[in-house]
Amino acid sequence: MSEDKKIIKEFTSGEYKEGFVTDVQQEFIPKGLNEDIIRLISKRKEEPEWLLEFRLDAFRRWEKMPMPDWAHLDMPAIDFQDIIYYAAPKQDKDRPKEIDPKLQATFDKLGIPLNEREVLAGVVAVDAVFDSVSVTTTFRKTLAEKGIIFCSFSEAVKEHPDLVRKYLASVVPPGDNYFAALNSAVFSDGSFCYIPKGVKCPMELSSYFRINARGTGQFERTLIVADEGSYVSYMEGCTAPIRDEQQLHAAVVEIVVEKDADVKYSTVQNWYPGDAQGRGGILNLVTKRGICKGSGSHLSWTQVETGSAITWKYPSTILKGDYSSSEFYSVAVTNNFQQADTGTKMIHLGRGTKSRIVSKGISAGKSQNSYRGLVRMAKGAVGARNYSQCDSLLIGKDCGAHTFPDIQSFNPTAVVEHEATTSKISEDQLFYCGQRGIGPEDAVGLIVGGYAREVLSRLPMEFAVEARKLLQVSLEGSVG
Amino acid sequence: MGHGKYIDPICGESYKVAAGETLRLSYVILPGESRSIDVAVDLTGEGAALELTALYLSGADETVRIRTLVHHRVKNCHSRQLIKGIAGGSADVRFDGVIVVAPGADGTEALQENHNIILSDTAKVETLPQLEIYADDVKCSHGATVGRLGEEELFYMRSRGIPEKEAKVLQMLSFISPVVPEGREEEIAAALTKL
Repeated sequence: MSEDKKIIKEFTSGEYKEGFVTDVQQEFIPKGLNEDIIRLISKRKEEPEWLLEFRLDAFRRWEKMPMPDWAHLDMPAIDFQDIIYYAAPKQDKDRPKEIDPKLQATFDKLGIPLNEREVLAGVVAVDAVFDSVSVTTTFRKTLAEKGIIFCSFSEAVKEHPDLVRKYLASVVPPGDNYFAALNSAVFSDGSFCYIPKGVKCPMELSSYFRINARGTGQFERTLIVADEGSYVSYMEGCTAPIRDEQQLHAAVVEIVVEKDADVKYSTVQNWYPGDAQGRGGILNLVTKRGICKGSGSHLSWTQVETGSAITWKYPSTILKGDYSSSEFYSVAVTNNFQQADTGTKMIHLGRGTKSRIVSKGISAGKSQNSYRGLVRMAKGAVGARNYSQCDSLLIGKDCGAHTFPDIQSFNPTAVVEHEATTSKISEDQLFYCGQRGIGPEDAVGLIVGGYAREVLSRLPMEFAVEARKLLQVSLEGSVG
Repeated sequence: MGHGKYIDPICGESYKVAAGETLRLSYVILPGESRSIDVAVDLTGEGAALELTALYLSGADETVRIRTLVHHRVKNCHSRQLIKGIAGGSADVRFDGVIVVAPGADGTEALQENHNIILSDTAKVETLPQLEIYADDVKCSHGATVGRLGEEELFYMRSRGIPEKEAKVLQMLSFISPVVPEGREEEIAAALTKL
């Protein structure tokens, strides 16, 4: 048993190597949240009047909303007046076009190329967001040749106001929920992506979010529009420095998938999870939703969640178009004092719509890991089909694994299946590996890898490599 | 430990099962009846066991609510819940079942299944099978399905000269048979034809 404990300790004390701070000069706006702050953010970003109105409307809604408490989370009280809502690295006035070498070095260290070069298997276009601003977006020209728009949200507001206005908040309305309303009021930057009719995006697109400044929150907004018959694969990554204070991250992602279009959205979430005593870490409170608007459209969510002190995230799909389909593949790992309440919603409206949910939870240390999901078959969902599988793996005595699915059917021809299991890594499995000369630590890695494989195999190559490594570090040492 | 704090209290029946005892509960809701079953079972002694079955056959504008809360408080307790039913007419059915496994309740085996068939356009079914687990040496699983009567089975029977109505009754009978209490087979078969 003591051997086990030693391994657990080693396994759970994996280092968070992205936890450094970049020392750059930054501009901040004053702490606090009120209409003047929102006007100030909007003015900084030189926004049109309609966007300011949109923000103020969201803020007024937010003020009237109560903080949600239905999740299986011990949420600390958040003082929204004690947060800086906008922080940007200072631009060198003499060279406004160039990227600060310190920022360049930061993203290099994180493995995110800001100059346009090939990585691993192919080319990836990146929109790199540092605190409240987008530092750069690569490959814009190459993509523009195909008619693809890929830029920061702020640039999109200036250069493509019609598109932004048409699609902004069309999937997540400003009053949707507490944190979506907060984001709509104070969002600073993020990515915008438009794939025109019939275009297959020739490279992976990605956003990378980095929190750096102390006392700030990050509120980015991503909007992806895939027009008829187009295809795009989109990846999202994120990290933050090691700190004792908890920092708030409340993002909104909206995806519009038109007729016969196909969008693949992958996330590797690696925010700072807090230390082994549960101090610090990011509060990751995110609203992600896509709509399969046209017939035959397809949206696939893949997420690997290893970071954050608290994760509150439910990437969802509204299956409106007939014969549209969606998938949700998730691996959520919690360790130490981390808490995760994550899952998905599949709202079937159209005929013959299909969805598939595969969720793999792994809890270790003193963490709590919940799957929460909704599958709704509306009246019009004739012949719709859903299959959900939610498995939990418990590692150690003090963690918790929970499953809260909600299945609603209003249609006699729709078929819904849900299955969930909870288990631990058994002595037999470890013994079997031990006999073959595989040490306990490697054996856990092997078993967890096999357990999560169905999800990991869905990730784009660039991400899959990183995700496997992350799983190993986050989970190091979890023999029961 | 905050286990169970996210659950609304049960205000219907409640049972405590002591060491080595087995509690068997069986519920039947027949057509013509709107009913709410609200049951909490505490497995408080080592080796305690629960076997729960529930059956509902609902049509017209009936409302059925079934809530179960099974709390595994100590080691080596077993629970098995099987809830099956058929909703026709504009029946409104909801199953809400929670299994809680307390810290240290090793050797727990908990199984919960809820299967539903919808017969009409206006019936609706909602199911929330939930697990809250705070111990690691456990075997817990739940399954839930909502679907319709199989068309291939129906075709098979009809091609052998069984009238559609009769064939459907046979299908429904086989679907619910695991939750039909002994001695009530005829009464329940007769009730099926009312759906």
